[in-house]
Amino acid sequence: MGFPLLTIALLAPIIGALVLVFIPKDEHKIVKAISAFVMAISLGLTLVAYFGYDFAKGGMQFTEDIVWVKELGVTYAMGVDGISLPMLLLTNLIGFSAVFASWNVEKRPKTFFILLLLLIAGVMGTFIARDLFIFFLFYEVVVIPLYIMVIIWGSSKRVTKEYAGMKLTIYLLIGSAFLLVGLIAIYLNAYPVGQRTFMIDKLAAASYSEPFQIFAFALLAVGFGSLLSMFPFHSWSPDGYAGAPTAVSMIHAGVLKKIGGYGLIRVGLLALPLGAKFWAPVIAFLAVCNVAYAAMIALAQKDLKYVIGYSSVSHMGYVLIGLAALNVIGINGAVANMFAHGVMSALFFSMIGYVYEKTHTRYIPDLGGLAHQMPRVAIGFMMAGMASLGLPGLVSFIPEFTIFVGSFAVYPTMAIIAIAGIIITALYTLRALANVLFGPRRPEFDHYPDAKGPEMVPLLVLGSVLVLGGIFPHLILDMVNSGVEPLVSAMMAKLGAAATIGGGF
Amino acid sequence: MNDFIFAAAFYGLAGMTILSAAGVVFLKDIVHSALMLALSFIGVAGLYVLLNADFLAAVQILVYGGAVAILIAFGVMLTRRRNMKESNPNNRWVIYASFVSAAFFAICGWALMGTDFKPVGQQVNPEAAVEGLASLLLGDYVVAFESAAVLLLVALVGAIILAKGAKEA
Amino acid sequence: MNMSLLSTEILTAVLACGLLILCLLSPNKEKHRGIGYATLFGLLAILVTTFFQYGINETTFHELWIHDDYSVFMKELFLVAAILVTLSSIDFVDTLPRFRSEYYSLIVFAALGMMVMASANDLVTIYVGMELMTITFFVLVAYVLGNGRSSEAGVKYLLLGAASSAVLLFGMSLLYGLTGTTVIPEMMAKLHWSPALVIAVVTLIAGFGFKISAVPFHMWSPDIYEGAPTPITGYLAVASKAAGFAVLVRVFIDGLPLQNGVDWLTVMSVLAGITMVIGNVVAIPQTNIKRMLAYSSVAQAGYLLVGLMSADAAGVKGILFYAMLYVVANMGAFAVAIVVAKELGTEEIPDYAGLAIRQPLLASVMTISLLSLAGIPPLAGFVGKLYLFSAIMDKGVLWPAFVGFVMSMVSVYYYLNVALYMWRDEPKDNRPIHVPGAIKFTVLFAMVATVFFGIYPGPLAEVATMAAKSLF
Repeated sequence: MGFPLLTIALLAPIIGALVLVFIPKDEHKIVKAISAFVMAISLGLTLVAYFGYDFAKGGMQFTEDIVWVKELGVTYAMGVDGISLPMLLLTNLIGFSAVFASWNVEKRPKTFFILLLLLIAGVMGTFIARDLFIFFLFYEVVVIPLYIMVIIWGSSKRVTKEYAGMKLTIYLLIGSAFLLVGLIAIYLNAYPVGQRTFMIDKLAAASYSEPFQIFAFALLAVGFGSLLSMFPFHSWSPDGYAGAPTAVSMIHAGVLKKIGGYGLIRVGLLALPLGAKFWAPVIAFLAVCNVAYAAMIALAQKDLKYVIGYSSVSHMGYVLIGLAALNVIGINGAVANMFAHGVMSALFFSMIGYVYEKTHTRYIPDLGGLAHQMPRVAIGFMMAGMASLGLPGLVSFIPEFTIFVGSFAVYPTMAIIAIAGIIITALYTLRALANVLFGPRRPEFDHYPDAKGPEMVPLLVLGSVLVLGGIFPHLILDMVNSGVEPLVSAMMAKLGAAATIGGGF
Repeated sequence: MNDFIFAAAFYGLAGMTILSAAGVVFLKDIVHSALMLALSFIGVAGLYVLLNADFLAAVQILVYGGAVAILIAFGVMLTRRRNMKESNPNNRWVIYASFVSAAFFAICGWALMGTDFKPVGQQVNPEAAVEGLASLLLGDYVVAFESAAVLLLVALVGAIILAKGAKEA
Repeated sequence: MNMSLLSTEILTAVLACGLLILCLLSPNKEKHRGIGYATLFGLLAILVTTFFQYGINETTFHELWIHDDYSVFMKELFLVAAILVTLSSIDFVDTLPRFRSEYYSLIVFAALGMMVMASANDLVTIYVGMELMTITFFVLVAYVLGNGRSSEAGVKYLLLGAASSAVLLFGMSLLYGLTGTTVIPEMMAKLHWSPALVIAVVTLIAGFGFKISAVPFHMWSPDIYEGAPTPITGYLAVASKAAGFAVLVRVFIDGLPLQNGVDWLTVMSVLAGITMVIGNVVAIPQTNIKRMLAYSSVAQAGYLLVGLMSADAAGVKGILFYAMLYVVANMGAFAVAIVVAKELGTEEIPDYAGLAIRQPLLASVMTISLLSLAGIPPLAGFVGKLYLFSAIMDKGVLWPAFVGFVMSMVSVYYYLNVALYMWRDEPKDNRPIHVPGAIKFTVLFAMVATVFFGIYPGPLAEVATMAAKSLF
């Protein structure tokens, strides 16, 4: 075990939060500077890991193993592979941007940034943990900072921020209760007493009976699915995003949600392939509901955040249908699309946050012609919007295309319905953008400045990733493929001859 | 002992115990209740005698029939209430309570009747019983015995704190 | 006869009596701080000695007294609770009208009663130990002289406690009648199914259920928790309940056979299920922090009962581990409630508004303690629940885990309600709240222990495993 790169990346925000505790609460600038600094460390280390990943070797790299709780079989095991690295990178990109998107927080900034850093560290931990126990630990760590941030810095529009925060928290937690039962069941079933372990790779290697797999996968699907806002467990998502402050919406829609998809692949598909096979058609069906139903609702929304909230529910449908295809191409597309959607939605939310912070409204009919006063923000909006509808040349085109290729082979009808969903996506995205950005100049917005200085950071960072990921898709897809392919082939081997899925569809 | 006399004595004593216990609950004057309580204790002592537990019977009369009953009488006197009528009232739950008690009694009765209790332990010579008790109490059961001593100390301290303190506070 | 097996109890009894004498000797009757610190150091010293007592698994007095790792663990738990209660009482005692110094010795006496319960291996000793604890609590609950609520709580506790003791004693006497012995392990072989045994088991469950405040024997707890002085409420909630569990586990696991006997596991399952559900659901509408914590402690009893349901070393280990964390987390919450009650003069949850601004330490400790009770990782409560529920899942029974985890998440609702007021709202006035040193130590200890054992549960879990194994 060499340089503990991942642990340092993980600890940087935690240590940052601890340092902030001792900073006087009126030193706003120092608080923000420290937060930005520790996130820069994490982001830098992540980039080192991302570009230092050895494709030839493959598998988990930068691993660290410390026996943690011996009798339970818990290991402090860190490591990244082709699936977790894009997620880790995404976390840090968005985390770094979120610090700058919150640069103008003037209400109790010290508490805000402490919680924000803890939230980011929690999300990061889930993606680099190779131990299910540690994974779950980090997974729930995020809940409480999230709740407190929503109730203090959130906004009450259609629903109060208290309602939004509680809905977010309770959905997440009830889902996690089912998830936890499922995880413990897997843990107990995998090995006899004495050899038990929480290591994900060992749990994936154990063999489980088919009825157990079906049962446990259902629990996992409910738990992770409610986090991923899978229909019908999605209703927290738009309300939650609408009530949350900008940084929380960015992180939540951008990465936190993706823990659901990530966990479903890492634990669900790999450890319980028979269960996955059993439930795949159902998930595919729910995925199509996600795509179509959420997109329809997004059409009717007047609040910008609700539009993007429902759009993110809709996009998660693509991820789910890619997963449900249970083939390398589909899962590749799903992972890549999680990355793409993360960048895109975070950029969207940061731009909305900026506009809301200045104009104090998110109501689409009240806005208009903002491109006149805020050209830079308008560029951000346009990039995010174009990426949302899958314009070639931006980051989300290739992943979505891959998903369709992967899922068409298995569920042709549903894949076509899902593709049709893109049309609705285009409709609501373009309409919202047109109403907000274009049209005649409105004099009441004249005195609002365009984004500048630190406010530009989210736009620059996330925007450039959007473009780079579109022009050089192999940067992401190669990485994802290197992680997915060996694991999914192992899964296929387990499924054996019965690899054709969901024949009925 | 003649079986008939034994049975007659048992039912007589048991009836006395139960009736006077009922009297404790139902009499309206708390002084009468206290006297009934003493009578009930004495009935229990009689049952002990029937079971050959002479020492226990003596203790029962001394401690419960004597000391405890007198303490209660003292307590009643110290409340300095002139009129003792309606000093031991019932409340509106009496009907429900009697149903619950009757049900509990019936279930217990059924269960105890349906169980075959085997005689346990060996008969001991009454003269040796006290000695045996003493060596048990100060031998094997010394922890319980000493804990009871500590308990009494705590009860005394507590009584002083609550009674004296409440007066001064 | 091996008196060294009684050393902890003897030391505690000496400490308690010594403190009483010290109260008499001290020249200024109302100067209690010195005695408070003497209590503290005495208890600490006893706690240190208990660490050297692991590994001695012996009985004495013809099996009437047992000294095993299980009892040592429990005694440590009582001592930790007593120490934390003493620490959080030192400033609180200033507000008592009279007899301030004697307060401390009563805390020690109650701990003594619990210790006797933990080590007793026969029914008589258990009963006397339990009465020692309960009678001490009668006095402690009513200690705020001249305060009607405290006196009312004391009288209520006296009446209900006496009734529950009577029920318990009835069950014990039936067991004696059936077996001719009061020694718990000896009963195991002699008991077989009979209607009287059913009654005995039911009355025992009712009697112990009162002590651990399991539904439907929980009715007393909200009223008495609310009326009692806050540190005593904490003591009652953690130590008294843990002592109830200590004997419950020993009597049922060691003494009552499941084969050919009464299937008490089913009764426990039903009890655990309704306790988890009702405790959590009724806690939701509470607005008084102490009543809320009372119902939450009812719910916690339900989680602990799940450990008894599995009736094996893993389950008992879960109980021990969880009980220890429960002590720490609950005392953290009660310590905050003590300061708030003293400084702001309120126990209503909405009055906690702005605590995060006025005193971030207290708000953080309260939040962390409550979340640990809710079982949110990485706090210790999560690991405890994991142990409890994985033990029963390992037996192939899933529903308690579902009920438990879902109800824990429901409990987050009312716990976060407190957090909502503390963190969201602006305070009514901005004066900082003074936190006395002893309380500061208590809350910091509670916070650090809760986080530490959540992230690194290994050491405590090992001790708990060893203690649980000594029972089987």
